[in-house]
Amino acid sequence: MSRTEKALAVVAFCLWSAMMVGVGYVARMLTAPVELRIERIYSSGGHALLDEAWGHVRNHFVGSVPSDTLRNYGAVRGALATLNDRYTTFVEPQPRALERDHIRGSFGGIGVNFARNERGEIVLSPMPDGPAAKAGVREGDILISIDGAPLPSPAALEDVARIRGEVGTPVTIEVLRGPQRERLKFTIVRQMIEVKSVEWRPITSTVRGAAATIGYVRIIHFTERTGEEVRRALAALAAADSQAYLIDLRDNGGGLLAAAVDVASEFLREGVVAIEQRRNHPDIVHRVITGRPKPAGDKPVAILVNSNTASAAEIVAGAIQDHKRGLLIGTKTFGKGSVQLVFDLSDGSAVRLTAARWLTPQRRELDGIGLTPDVEVSGSAEEQLDRAIAELGEAMRRAQ
Amino acid sequence: MERPDSIMSNPIKNIALGMLGMFIGALIFILGMTAGVVMSRPGGLLFAGASPFSPHPSNAAVSAAQSDAATEQQGLNYALINDVIRRLRTQWYGEMPSSAKLTDGAIKGLVNALGDEFTQYVEPRFAKMLNEDMTGAFEGIGATLKQTPSGAIQIVRTFPGMPADRGGVLPGDIIEAVNGVNVQGLNSTEVAAMVRGPRGTEVTLTLRRADRPRPFQVTLVRERIEIPLVSSRMVGDGSIGYISLLDFSQPASRQLEKHLREILEKQPKALILDLRDNPGGLLSQAREVGDIFLKKGVFIIERDYRGNKKVSSTTDRGIAQDIPMVVLVNGGSASAAEIVAGAMQDTGRATLIGERTFGKGSVQSPQTLSNGGQLRITIERWYTPNDRAIHGVGITPDYIVSNSPEDARDGKDPQLEAAIEFLTSGKTPPPTPFPTVAPTPLP
Repeated sequence: MSRTEKALAVVAFCLWSAMMVGVGYVARMLTAPVELRIERIYSSGGHALLDEAWGHVRNHFVGSVPSDTLRNYGAVRGALATLNDRYTTFVEPQPRALERDHIRGSFGGIGVNFARNERGEIVLSPMPDGPAAKAGVREGDILISIDGAPLPSPAALEDVARIRGEVGTPVTIEVLRGPQRERLKFTIVRQMIEVKSVEWRPITSTVRGAAATIGYVRIIHFTERTGEEVRRALAALAAADSQAYLIDLRDNGGGLLAAAVDVASEFLREGVVAIEQRRNHPDIVHRVITGRPKPAGDKPVAILVNSNTASAAEIVAGAIQDHKRGLLIGTKTFGKGSVQLVFDLSDGSAVRLTAARWLTPQRRELDGIGLTPDVEVSGSAEEQLDRAIAELGEAMRRAQ
Repeated sequence: MERPDSIMSNPIKNIALGMLGMFIGALIFILGMTAGVVMSRPGGLLFAGASPFSPHPSNAAVSAAQSDAATEQQGLNYALINDVIRRLRTQWYGEMPSSAKLTDGAIKGLVNALGDEFTQYVEPRFAKMLNEDMTGAFEGIGATLKQTPSGAIQIVRTFPGMPADRGGVLPGDIIEAVNGVNVQGLNSTEVAAMVRGPRGTEVTLTLRRADRPRPFQVTLVRERIEIPLVSSRMVGDGSIGYISLLDFSQPASRQLEKHLREILEKQPKALILDLRDNPGGLLSQAREVGDIFLKKGVFIIERDYRGNKKVSSTTDRGIAQDIPMVVLVNGGSASAAEIVAGAMQDTGRATLIGERTFGKGSVQSPQTLSNGGQLRITIERWYTPNDRAIHGVGITPDYIVSNSPEDARDGKDPQLEAAIEFLTSGKTPPPTPFPTVAPTPLP
């Protein structure tokens, strides 16, 4: 072989080797999980820029720079703001803890409700038989410190949240009482406090001159405990011989999707409750939970809705309407057809992001549209309730 | 190739070579594949580098604990933001913005966390406009903007006779869009860059106004913005000299002194210096204006990011050091205007009448980042001779007198009237009740 040929052979071999390495690499990337491939798209060195910006700020800014934590929160908020989605948000640890308690429907606390008076003070209202009431805290006491740390003025709900903690641990609070503003101190052991998400009562109505009972169930919010609470309410109402059920979802801003599916399943035999549409993912179909006793059976149902009925509450209302299981009575609902997932982050903060849209069983879009009630009643809350009772009376008459 | 047949001379050798080649090929393929696996694995080389917010792309082996300890001194902890971005990529329903856009957002968020509205990040596209258009500051619609605490971009002031004023734009209007581009998430510098442009060109603003149910559009033709810096006249019964100063740009003190000399020839018994809606300008001009009215003494205290304190004094060569004087200020008086007003108040040189000033006593230094974006960082803060902070506080006048929007419409000026009254008869304006503060709820 001539020298030229040798050189050519070497070059060709090198090129070919490089190509094979490339082919191997591409083959690996093609078989890599989607997530990994997406990651590669965002491979430009944005991190260097953030460091660069922060370097300038640290070196030149005249004021005091915020803590590492606050800077990180700021950067996360800024990045999320570029999505232009008001439901995709960053949640700091304190509010996240409150939110978690709320969704769980229970927390370690002392059993007091808070209100703010016109002076911005936190006024306590102990729950009957709760730990605070038993310790001697009275309605109207003004909270001034928790575990020795005075409350800021005016205090935010997050400041008051320090009163909560692990079940079995003590908390010391100081309050001012009465016109003399007598200063009192209580040490109270935290207990499991359950937050009711459901209220119910039988309503007596008249059908063809005879008394008939309507089971009224008001769902305030969809928490982890809501399904169980609704089941217990329905069982008690069925035992009281309810001939129809009225579910009040007015001013219910939503909550857990799973709780909505659970509640809707109490009134439907089978089929779809809601369809969840994700990006780059097949639809997720949420079906009626079957194979368990359903106290409401096939008895007539009506749902009260208004413009504050949103999210999970709209899922229940939409399923009932699409299945023609009962009438929606009231005013047009809010129209929040997106599902947010909450991801807890390492330091107790969380990101809540819009992960899906949901559709009614008939694949109706809801976002920004809402559900139109079958019977529009725009009057007072009482008028809406009266109308619902009348409609159920009519349904019971037909059912007889 | 010179001799294409040479390699064919020995077929057996060729076959052997070919097999060897295939074997080596397979080996290298496997090597490449392995490299792909190793490099793209989380924690692997490429993964660390690929993540847009990874702090140490060249040093992927840094453990989480180490990088945490290091961040407090030297940078940001990217674990949180990386976690959020990863969730978004896999779970978010919408279209993901580009990495560059996410980074722009993160920098803005980082800068917002400083709590200083004047430290701003200007995205590359707008920074480019600011840099390219050197005439930009002088060709536009004749209005000044600010960002409200909620992030909205608001018109602070329109200059009489200029395009914005003629087109019916009013102070207080909120800009929603410029040429149809929504300004949500943009800061005042960025929006100003969009509004400015060569004279003769059109710009369409979408505005929101308190008394209108829905946003409306105004199309304006940009002009060269030329406004007389100083205007003066005799007011009251002709015995009080009135001088207004529009801003503290280069010719300010010279023009002011010229007008002042003319007025002093008329032997006024008092002076009114109107610094209302004066957004400031050059510190050197503020000093020279101070020199005109103040005797020798401390004029301003500057503190920079290094903690250095610099005290500057006036020179004692002023032409109007003793004549009784009122300085008019309002919420549009900012920066250099607040320095002058603050020094006049602290030294007892003048009585301040009007409303609390804007509260911008700081200097920004622009830094261009490698992506072309601009970071405007507050590097210095100003204090009055008595060491009162201006920044975020403003100067509270000795007598608070407010002009209502109706006054402006009816051609009335209660603030000026109060100044004239005060200088003529010594009658002070009635005390304005401060907004009542609720009693401290907690002992």
